[in-house]
Amino acid sequence: MTTESRHPRPGKRFTSPNSAQADAASTAYAERPTESASESAAEALRGARHFSPEMESQPLAAAEPEPATPGLDATLSARPRHRGLKWLLLGTLTLGGVEAGHALYQAAMGGDLIAGAWGLLGLGAIGLGARALGKELFRLRHLRKHVALRAELEEHQQDDFGQESFGQRGFGQKSFGQRGDALSTPDEDAGKAGGKAGSQQEDLLEQLRRQMKLGDDDAGVRAWRAACEAHHSPSERRELFAFHVLGPRDREARRLISRMSGETAVMVAVSPLTWVDMSLVAWRGLRMMERLSRLYGLELGYASRLRLFKEVLASMAFAGASELAAEASMDLLSMNLAGRLSTKAGQGLGSGLMNARLGLRAMRLLRPIPFHAEEVPRIGELRAELFSRMRKADKGEDDAA
Amino acid sequence: MFNTMTRNARQLARDVGREAHDLLERGLDRQLRLAVTGLSGAGKTAFLVSLIEQLRHAGLGARLELLPAARDGRLLGAERVSQPDLSIPRFPLEAGLRSLSGQHSPHGPEWPTPTRSISELRLKIGFRPTSRAARMLDSQRATLTLDLIDYPGEWLLDLPMLEQDFSGWSSECETQLADGRGDWAHDWMAAIEGLTPDSEVDEDRLAEIASLYTDYLHAARRKGGFVDLTPGRFLLPGELDEAPVLQFFPLPGLGDWAPDALAALPEASLYRTLARRFDHYRRRVVRPFYHDHFRRFDRQIVLIDVLGALNAGPAPFRDLSRALDKLFDSFAYGRRHLLARLMDRRIDRLAIAATKADHVTPEQHGAMRDLLEQLLADPLKRLRYRDVPLKAFTIAAIRASEAREVVENGQRHPALAGQLLGEHEGASDLDTQGAGRESVLLFPGEVPSRLPDPNFWAESRFDFPHFAPPKIDGNAPPHIRMDAVLDWLLGDHLK
Repeated sequence: MTTESRHPRPGKRFTSPNSAQADAASTAYAERPTESASESAAEALRGARHFSPEMESQPLAAAEPEPATPGLDATLSARPRHRGLKWLLLGTLTLGGVEAGHALYQAAMGGDLIAGAWGLLGLGAIGLGARALGKELFRLRHLRKHVALRAELEEHQQDDFGQESFGQRGFGQKSFGQRGDALSTPDEDAGKAGGKAGSQQEDLLEQLRRQMKLGDDDAGVRAWRAACEAHHSPSERRELFAFHVLGPRDREARRLISRMSGETAVMVAVSPLTWVDMSLVAWRGLRMMERLSRLYGLELGYASRLRLFKEVLASMAFAGASELAAEASMDLLSMNLAGRLSTKAGQGLGSGLMNARLGLRAMRLLRPIPFHAEEVPRIGELRAELFSRMRKADKGEDDAA
Repeated sequence: MFNTMTRNARQLARDVGREAHDLLERGLDRQLRLAVTGLSGAGKTAFLVSLIEQLRHAGLGARLELLPAARDGRLLGAERVSQPDLSIPRFPLEAGLRSLSGQHSPHGPEWPTPTRSISELRLKIGFRPTSRAARMLDSQRATLTLDLIDYPGEWLLDLPMLEQDFSGWSSECETQLADGRGDWAHDWMAAIEGLTPDSEVDEDRLAEIASLYTDYLHAARRKGGFVDLTPGRFLLPGELDEAPVLQFFPLPGLGDWAPDALAALPEASLYRTLARRFDHYRRRVVRPFYHDHFRRFDRQIVLIDVLGALNAGPAPFRDLSRALDKLFDSFAYGRRHLLARLMDRRIDRLAIAATKADHVTPEQHGAMRDLLEQLLADPLKRLRYRDVPLKAFTIAAIRASEAREVVENGQRHPALAGQLLGEHEGASDLDTQGAGRESVLLFPGEVPSRLPDPNFWAESRFDFPHFAPPKIDGNAPPHIRMDAVLDWLLGDHLK
């Protein structure tokens, strides 16, 4: 705070700014024009005011930077919650339960066995419903927690120590400009209060480990612990975590996407009816997403799965224009390739590609530590694999025919 | 006659062959020249020893977790091969390792002795390439040739002299004298009292004054901790000891003379004599050094001992900042294209490292890097303008301490465990390493994240410890972030 107020204000000159007398004199001088002009323009213009340099002041609150892309976290947290609906559901369940209980009690009193059985059945049904609902809510919360943790890790990644090349990514812009402000904010990390932030980050990674349900004896976790040394900075620890713990899972996820999209492609190619195609694609897509999320330590319920699906679609829609353009041209090319396949196989290739892209996008959103720009999984290799698979399937079909 | 001719022809063929091979390697990006730049005492020799040892043990034993090529198990190790330029001494790796092993000293391991002359080293690094094209060319194993050069840091500050003339240099020295280092220059100042540019001085007297000037440079370095001391050869003359080319000194008060008047002075005048020697020094000593060793680099790492400068006080700290500022202008930076790669060499990646990071607790590394950024504020602005790829690190080439934690009164404090060097073992003169080492557990103090103002130094001073090196016996030395540095400097060529 004091540093800001100590900075010289531009374009003004005081004879001796430290002496109180000079200060008072300059104040009086500055206020005089306001008084004389007060009749005409006082309502419109405010006159100059001088504060004593010792007075407490704080930096002007800067505008919050806008999130660059509407990622999973942004949309999830910004979404209005349907509190009313929740209460309504809860109320219905409670009232239903009470009513069923009451009916059961009445039946027991009156000896009406049929009515009692109905009441029991109703109670059971309500219990099951409540359980399912609770589970859904719990899993939804789990997803939200996962997303929050991911966002927090990403935020720490922003403030990179020893990693970020300040020649390329704003030595002047970020580390210099913002670190000055950051010195006075309580939540700043690696820069100054490195120790505190370090342990905080450590906690985050530990939290992530627990969330992924990895024990201390997991091979990846053990390798990660062995690789870390006391002098490693938070971002280095995170990098090692990504390599040792997430690396094997990334490879597994890629294999999964390749396999499942290939299967989808073949299924679509051999299915005789359009509506079967459609449901196949939807079913396989959801299935793949669920498996992917389980790989990264998330268990999805119905609602959370749907929501994730929605987010993945949204994120695909918002993908950068250049990326889209590049991929679209490649897709056109592969459609050219598809010309060499039969129509059905071509259709299969198309939906397989779509599925693979969905999978990759979901992988990017689900991975607890976001990918570096250069290690983001690309669709290129998957495309080649898919094509060769379709070729094979096509040949087999020809042979069979 | 015929014999000599054939021998010459064979020699020529071999030379051409080697040149062509070099050219091919360069075209393939399989050859790198790494400049390790640093003023004296910044830890160049330790850095080089550690770098070579890490790479040699990369396949087995070295901990290089932050170097992806090593992490993936693709780095197979390195081997020292004969250097291309046979007229330059070999880098004394064995001597460095011997002093670190502690076998030849009663006190235990010692830091490698400071460099006194230039030396060179070529490493061949073996790795498994990942890219398809590279695999097709060399099947499973590829090699990267890395050329390294070690030289005394004192000589480095001569490079900015290439751009100066005698009067410019004199007035710069005059400004420097005014900033805190006059205390050591009394004798020399007394000797030049009354000398004017037009006075005539005989050779012996000149030699005498020059040796007083040299004494002042030594004193300012050893006692004052100053680094920006020119001419660097005065401190470490190498083979030029006692030669007249090293017998000149700056002449204060030249600003009062008009340039025309100075130029019109007779040949035998003091000004003309000194200026002649200065020019000779520039042309015959500094330029060849620059030309032969500093022009052709691909990568550069600048090592800076921030803690040492903090220890020394405000004036040496400013001095360091100015010296670095001048230095950065001496190198050519830029991106390399295919053609440029063959014809001309420019530094296309730059690392800036605050060394001796093992002398503070790990949570101070952030502040140390911030301070480094502030120290280099001006050159970094220019580098950023030229868009030179650049990264800052806090490293310890050979980690001499261990990060620990102490619980005191229920509170946890970071601490370092290590062995302190004895009483007389300063950072700047490593010749007297010796007795009186003690094992300590201490918190060395915080590093300020921005430049402290001079008043701060008046009240208190920094006193970062000097640790003795760990015993290194046949394995890669422990380090801090050498792997990250290696990744930045070599990683893109290990693909």
